[in-house]
Amino acid sequence: MEQTGSVKVPDGKLVTVTATYEDTIESVTITGDFFLEPPEARERLERVIEGRPTDVPKQELVDAIETVDAELIGFSAAHLAEAVREAIDR
Amino acid sequence: MTDPGVTSDENWRIIDDGVHDEPVHHALDDVLIDRLDDGEMAPTIRFWYRTGPAVPIGRFQAYADEVADEYVRDHDIDVVRRITGGGAMYAEPGAVITYSIYLPRAAVADDIERSYERLNRWAIDALRGLGLAAVHEPLNDIAHEDGKIGGAAQLRRSNAVLHHVTMSYALDIEAMLRTLRIGEEKLSDKAVTSAEKRVTRIADYVAEDHEAVIDRLKDEFRTTYGGEAGSLTDDELMAAERRAETTFRTDEWNKRL
Repeated sequence: MEQTGSVKVPDGKLVTVTATYEDTIESVTITGDFFLEPPEARERLERVIEGRPTDVPKQELVDAIETVDAELIGFSAAHLAEAVREAIDR
Repeated sequence: MTDPGVTSDENWRIIDDGVHDEPVHHALDDVLIDRLDDGEMAPTIRFWYRTGPAVPIGRFQAYADEVADEYVRDHDIDVVRRITGGGAMYAEPGAVITYSIYLPRAAVADDIERSYERLNRWAIDALRGLGLAAVHEPLNDIAHEDGKIGGAAQLRRSNAVLHHVTMSYALDIEAMLRTLRIGEEKLSDKAVTSAEKRVTRIADYVAEDHEAVIDRLKDEFRTTYGGEAGSLTDDELMAAERRAETTFRTDEWNKRL
């Protein structure tokens, strides 16, 4: 199934995650009005989230996101992880 | 630590001519930041003149989430995905002020929050000089106590930074709310008034016309950074036309998300 989760960072940006999943997260798209340097890192962030089980702990997602060499601007790894959990929780 | 952000020893080119359609403007950003990054161009500021209404959307935004598709098609509004992040804006010729600054990475603070503040400062000084009490609002906005005047967005390359800004001069707020999906629920009742407060327009506070405000911005820029009036080269324009064809006029780019 496909679901969307969004996190609005207080005084910051909106991060939306659209996830396709069954028992594992099959595919992820990250969108929003955030900034990211380099911009090409968006796909790498998506790849480190994919393939994980739907009961993945938030901290494991944060750790995975932080392995990507990128500067997240207007949001943090924790916000992105939260948006992923939102997308797969329901 | 030194305070990067302003260097007046560079030979700046100030471009304030040339009307282009929305895809060419974005292609120019892409071509010119590449050329500065490759050491083939002097630092440049370029003011945008558009051919019609447009929506530049942020690089990472989902097209369908931001744009009222039917309204945009019915009104020939050109939606183009930027090379920078940030949010969607609505723009009309003569009703907004947009400019792009292409500057060496070494002249820009590494700290991103700080660099936005530093690169917006001259513009805020110019607006204050016109009597508008503008302030920088982190991360990337130029604001007034009544609302947001404009927003900046940046892209960083190894040797170059693009910092572009769009401000509202006299934007048609109702057209903006019909074009952008953020307006959908706000237009459904009398709440338009409260939504209008979120965007503050320069012309509501300043008597000078659009051209005079741009002149004031150019003066302040020149005082801060130096520089001389210039134009795009034929080669730059041709490269931008090509890149508009291959990227910024295509659904593959504009609707990729």
